[in-house]
Amino acid sequence: MSVRGTHVPEHLRLPIAGVTPPPTEKDGQRLFPTGNFRFFRPVFRDKTPPCNHACPTGEQIQKYLDHVKHDRYLDGYLTIMQDNPMPSVTGRVCYHPCETVCNRAAHDEPIGIRGVERFLGDFGLHLASNPVKKDLPPLNGKTVAIAGSGPGGLACAYHLRRRGYASVIFEAMDKPGGMLRAGIPAWHLPEEILDQEIAKLLDLGGIEIRCGTRVGAPGGPGLDELDRDYDAVFLALGQDVGRRLDAEGAQARGVIGAMEFLRETGLGRPARIGRHVLVIGGGNTASDAARSAIRLGGGDATIVSLEAEGELLIQTEDLAQARDEGVGFRPNSALVRVLTDGEGNVSGAVLARARLARDENGVRPEITDATETEVACDTILVAIGQVQVLDWLPAHYIERGLIAADEFGRVPGESGTVFAGGDVMRGPSMVVDALGDGKRAARDIDRVLSSQQLEPDPPAEVMPYEKLNAAYFRHAPRTEAPLTPAGNRRTSQVTEVTLSYSREQARAEADRCMSCGVCNGCDNCYIVCPDVSVMRDARQNGRYSIRTHYCKGCLVCVQECPTGCLEKVPEMDFDEPDAVVRMETAFAPYDGAHAEQAPFTRALIEDAIAEYDASRSKSIDPNGRGAS
Amino acid sequence: MHHELTVWSRGIIMDKEARDVSTAIATVARRLGYHAENVSDYVDDPDRTNCLVRRYARFADEPILDRFVYENPHPDWVVLIEETIIKAVNFFRGTPDGQGVLVINSARDPEYLLKFLPVHMLAKLDKFVVVDATGLAEQRGSSPWMYVRDLSELAFDRMSTEGAVERLAIGMGIAAPLIGALVAATGDLPVDAVAEVVADRDAMLRGVKQHTVVARAGEA
Repeated sequence: MSVRGTHVPEHLRLPIAGVTPPPTEKDGQRLFPTGNFRFFRPVFRDKTPPCNHACPTGEQIQKYLDHVKHDRYLDGYLTIMQDNPMPSVTGRVCYHPCETVCNRAAHDEPIGIRGVERFLGDFGLHLASNPVKKDLPPLNGKTVAIAGSGPGGLACAYHLRRRGYASVIFEAMDKPGGMLRAGIPAWHLPEEILDQEIAKLLDLGGIEIRCGTRVGAPGGPGLDELDRDYDAVFLALGQDVGRRLDAEGAQARGVIGAMEFLRETGLGRPARIGRHVLVIGGGNTASDAARSAIRLGGGDATIVSLEAEGELLIQTEDLAQARDEGVGFRPNSALVRVLTDGEGNVSGAVLARARLARDENGVRPEITDATETEVACDTILVAIGQVQVLDWLPAHYIERGLIAADEFGRVPGESGTVFAGGDVMRGPSMVVDALGDGKRAARDIDRVLSSQQLEPDPPAEVMPYEKLNAAYFRHAPRTEAPLTPAGNRRTSQVTEVTLSYSREQARAEADRCMSCGVCNGCDNCYIVCPDVSVMRDARQNGRYSIRTHYCKGCLVCVQECPTGCLEKVPEMDFDEPDAVVRMETAFAPYDGAHAEQAPFTRALIEDAIAEYDASRSKSIDPNGRGAS
Repeated sequence: MHHELTVWSRGIIMDKEARDVSTAIATVARRLGYHAENVSDYVDDPDRTNCLVRRYARFADEPILDRFVYENPHPDWVVLIEETIIKAVNFFRGTPDGQGVLVINSARDPEYLLKFLPVHMLAKLDKFVVVDATGLAEQRGSSPWMYVRDLSELAFDRMSTEGAVERLAIGMGIAAPLIGALVAATGDLPVDAVAEVVADRDAMLRGVKQHTVVARAGEA
């Protein structure tokens, strides 16, 4: 141990090579805590998938697609039910903002989320008992009044019930459902599906629907009364009054509001419709009305719109289906005058070329002079927008025909317990917007009634396609939902147009999900880690752990994470004391398991020195006894 | 006077910087007539990316007797080429209490960095010197020297410099501001003399001026 001219201080003497076990042995990671190689630490951090973010109800779409993919349909159904009380309805009628933003669109085609939702919703309707029911809290004695039993009102009642509140819903019509029943034709949303979804809600207990009671109308309760008698009020009145046509001859017999027409047919009342129908308007109501008119009247229907062909506000699938069913289109046209016969019945219309002119004040029609043409027709359906009668509300509640509310949907007032949502607050919008408003209102009513602060949702980090590892996703075509042939469906008011996915189709579609930004337990990090530092302690979603004492930060896992839920975070951002073993020297022979061996190795060295010294002292023994 | 400088760095991606710091200090000391030693390659594996590596220099008025003890037994000057090393290792092993000068390449707040030192290491500390050497070096603009890039990004890069032709010049890139900060904070070697041996003289002088010193003598 001694070289002439050098001094090796004892604390610098290293253990003898070969004494320390090689790192391939069982405790290798403990022996060589190489976590201090690391600049970046891999961290599992789930982001928000775009579908989830775009859904007004915040459905955890990635989560239920993952359940469906693994045949866990009940779990998938319960996942939807956390956010949306009526997946069978939205699975049929939703305009699927989720699919619009689906990252898969940048890859090949968006996922048929609505079809899978419908599959799960129908699965739920076929269950013998409602699985949501058993986890409900007991009623807490507080009751909320809800005006309107449309999607907003029903969703609010459902989410309030999940939080232990009872509710009373006031519905103006004879049957509950609001626009789901009175605005959406049965060939879109069969009546029995809506009835079943509402029955499922009522089965939860604590929800009462009082039909035939219009809030604010003579005989119905007023706002003051509701505010006084109930703990909170949610106004989800919708917009069920169609805008009137402002044209010469608009009073003729045969000029019908599309809303009124759809309501009468939706409620199963006889509606008179001619064989040659003009529908004025360029939105979804116009499309629904035209298609219903073809079914009822057996004739033809033409949509007359100011919008150009590409500007129509009709949902893409609906537009294609309408064309298949023979709906005609007269884009860039305006109704100038309604022609009548001698008895005051509609006999035709004068149309002119027109376009939607856009300026800083919004859009307005611009009619081209001297382009008028006459068109024969016997019915004109008017689908140029809806309003709601709100004259029974205090004037300061109303702004531009809608209920004014703050960012939480709270209506300004002394009590602070009046909320609003849906079309009556935001103007014409989607079913799912109303469902989302109902959910948020329930949460905020709960907060107000339990004296909590109202807080906006924390900002979400939405996962963009560019951050996915797209190499892991094979291109796979989208399975389109099957349709009833146009010839069969255009004669029936009740034959559903869009049909369900089969189980195999739903599973295949769910399997296309790229799980944007959310760990779906694919095991890739576990497999690719060259250092056995990703541990799969519990093989559940997102339940991997990183051995921070050992992970060297090579970041192969981050590069190879398909979903992008793994990210690199600078090691220096972590200031917790013990996540990294501080080595005593560069090679840590005194740390970890080495430390346990230190007395042993030190003894080896000391023994060696003693032996050496002993032999030397013997060899130079002045008494000449020498080595024995 | 007897100073032992240990430079801690990481294999491959910033090995050259560590060598430059120790070489520059030893070269200047020898020119100034001190007894000096530079151990620019010993024991630690420089061929492993990110692996901890050390480079040593020492200089003294007296002849250095422990000339075959390559690892400094009592380092009183410690330079960390990269900031996460402050978490990684006991670089004050053998340092006399209250005499350690620690120079770290970091853009972070000194108080935040000090949180990582345990009590027994704080007891060794005399001066804590923080210099954003990466930032100061990057001001060279179109510098052909690759190591002025953010070191942690380099670690993520799968590129290796093995087989690449290395610059022979001493003290380019982030080594220069680190040398400047070390020389200025310790004060034992004249800045002008050091500037003569450092290739990136401007960056070194920036390091001389732009660093933060936290005096910790006697505190634990």
